[in-house]
Amino acid sequence: MERHDLIVVGAGPSGLSAAIEAAKCGLDVVVFDECARPGGQLFKQIHKFFGSKEHKAKIRGFRIGEELLKEASDAGVQVVLNATVLGLYQEKEVLVRIGDEIRHVKGDAILVATGASENTLAFPGWTLPGVIGAGAAQTMMNLHGVKPGERVLMLGSGNVGLVVSFQLLQAGCEVVALVDAAPRIGGYGVHAAKVARCGVPFYLSHTIVRAEGTDHVTGVVIGEVDKSWQIIPGTEKHFDVDTICVAVGLSPMSQLLTMAGCDMADDPKKGGYVPVCDETGATSVPGIFVSGDVSGIEEASSAMIEGRIAGIAAAKYLGYVEQAAEENEVHALETSLDALRQGMFAPKNRGKDLRETEEGCPISQNLLRKGYLSDEEVFAYPGVRKIAGVHPVIECTQNIPCNPCQDACPKGCITIGENITSLPVVNPDAQCIGCGMCVASCSGQAIFLVDEDAGADTATVTLPYEFLPLPKAGDKGQALSRSGAPLCEAEVAGVRSAPAFDHTNLLTIRVPKAYAMRARFFQPMEGGCAEWANQWTVPETSAPSFRGPMTIC
Amino acid sequence: MSRIAEHPILGAPEKGRLVTFTYDGRPMQGYEGEPIAMALKAAGVMVHRYTAKRHEPRGIFCAIGRCTDCVMVVDGKPNVRTCMTPLREGMTVQTQDGVTAKVPEGGAPTDGKA
Amino acid sequence: MDRSRDIGPFVPGPDDDLLICRCEEVTKGEIRRAVHAGMWTMTEIRRFLRVGMGLCQGQSCTKLVKGIVARELGVSPATLDPETSRAPMRPTEMHVLGDEKKEA
Repeated sequence: MERHDLIVVGAGPSGLSAAIEAAKCGLDVVVFDECARPGGQLFKQIHKFFGSKEHKAKIRGFRIGEELLKEASDAGVQVVLNATVLGLYQEKEVLVRIGDEIRHVKGDAILVATGASENTLAFPGWTLPGVIGAGAAQTMMNLHGVKPGERVLMLGSGNVGLVVSFQLLQAGCEVVALVDAAPRIGGYGVHAAKVARCGVPFYLSHTIVRAEGTDHVTGVVIGEVDKSWQIIPGTEKHFDVDTICVAVGLSPMSQLLTMAGCDMADDPKKGGYVPVCDETGATSVPGIFVSGDVSGIEEASSAMIEGRIAGIAAAKYLGYVEQAAEENEVHALETSLDALRQGMFAPKNRGKDLRETEEGCPISQNLLRKGYLSDEEVFAYPGVRKIAGVHPVIECTQNIPCNPCQDACPKGCITIGENITSLPVVNPDAQCIGCGMCVASCSGQAIFLVDEDAGADTATVTLPYEFLPLPKAGDKGQALSRSGAPLCEAEVAGVRSAPAFDHTNLLTIRVPKAYAMRARFFQPMEGGCAEWANQWTVPETSAPSFRGPMTIC
Repeated sequence: MSRIAEHPILGAPEKGRLVTFTYDGRPMQGYEGEPIAMALKAAGVMVHRYTAKRHEPRGIFCAIGRCTDCVMVVDGKPNVRTCMTPLREGMTVQTQDGVTAKVPEGGAPTDGKA
Repeated sequence: MDRSRDIGPFVPGPDDDLLICRCEEVTKGEIRRAVHAGMWTMTEIRRFLRVGMGLCQGQSCTKLVKGIVARELGVSPATLDPETSRAPMRPTEMHVLGDEKKEA
């Protein structure tokens, strides 16, 4: 029978990381993956990752995937694609289907990194074509260049729902609403804010009543829910949509471990049925290890570190590394992993209704309920200071593990400190040169450069812009508020793009001085602004939706 | 048009050559190597099959080969996951009805209640 | 599990016609009725109704079914054991499964 020192199931971020570390320790490693290409979900992740430099922060997910594949190839890891593991038997024997052939392969150690599958939600009409998972939307637009739909309703305000909503806008789709049955937005406030400022309305405490259509989705009805999750009669709202995107969480895909006889536990904090394992990923069956989402739903960044830890642990189990060396390496990785598991979204804080940041700032309830900070609230945070001349305004208001902005500033304007979940502090004495590196480095797109002294009556606001077509200097349009409501006429003063910005363009708009701290997005337009002028006083709740880059109204 | 010509982050999608296949007897075009389901989606096809019991339409749901809702009859073989199967020149793709083709090759459409 | 526990009679619900298992087309009402017919474990429900035994092998509906069964029994879903996990984990044609590569 074919045998290997280590068989890794799953060539996603975690499995590849494990295989790399094990191979570097001298193990003969084979990785099986059922897909036609390696990398798992990383190649669908086009946003910049969070964390610090060691976690590959501010690098887009698919670039991290490319780096990982190169590292695996350099380490001599053998990755077998279109190889579906159908079973994991006692004595660490794997049943794998490769093409139309069934093989039994034996591993002295096994690492299961099968990741997760998407949860679904049943509602009338949920089987209609046009109701899709958020992962499906990402697969279509980011891997295959096909728009999932023209008008989309997103269900789920966790990071997946928020990130995919933004990606839909980037792909040229219209997102008509973001809906969640929970009373608070589940994902990062910065992710919500960048969707909200494009004009996408958030409906918290709402769920889908039904999808409409005969052969495919043509509409959707949502309604407000009461405390026992029942629809409150009379609160129904209808939207014309062709696509309903469901992002209601992930479940560990742990069936292979159940089959192998590992001790399992149903842990809602980890997303479902997971193997019982120690901090190195060792399960109750000696020689079977786990890492990544299969052992508890987290982010790709932590899945990669868990993989490296488990790869080294497997090497030690087989006697390829000394105990002391293993402890050293694992300890360093665990410190790095621990840094990612801090802050208000840490696994230990899941479900808690936190009211204050670690610094004692109030956590914005508007941000949690509507997706944006109010104009008044924004001044409560240490990244927002009134300073003469051009300066960064950092609307980062929740403790999340991320610090690239601190390293990005060449002038020391921004301080986060040792604890990477701390809110960034803008130093009023440092001299900002307006280079914009902080704007482009912020994975949450929460940094703006504001200059209230740009002209006699005008101010400039520099904002991150990741849409096409890219406006050019002199273009006219309107400035949008944090909620995406039209504010005032705006003119593009300049656009900066640079390889170092990695596709985050810096758009500088000129607005009346009074709007310097309110204008946070730009909607370009053709022709004059006359027909819009009457919109600029409308209440924020009736903001028209930003229609994405393809249609400009 | 549901193809993204130019993406702000990813640029222009990398595609294989344009090939012709048949969908329920009609010629249709897509890019070689992309999943069959993507070629159909780009051409506006939403319904991949009708279910056996309730004769309800189904289409793409997970797009990664898990849910098996997008299965169709491909080159005469039923239950082929179109989201995972690469498009090749000259493929015959048919709407599945239960476990057979709704429109027999070269024949008239059935009433969907077969 | 205490099988003698009284879980009360089956009460029809407004969403009993809601499809839960997409592959085998099993409704919420059928699952709820099965619980009242004595199918109290995920494995029993699966064998009785074929939920999760279609093409996708339960990838889409398992969590939904578990929630419905648990609610009907008045217990937390975490207390229900999952159905048996066995090969093949993915839909596999019999001619492939039956044609193992012979050892050289």
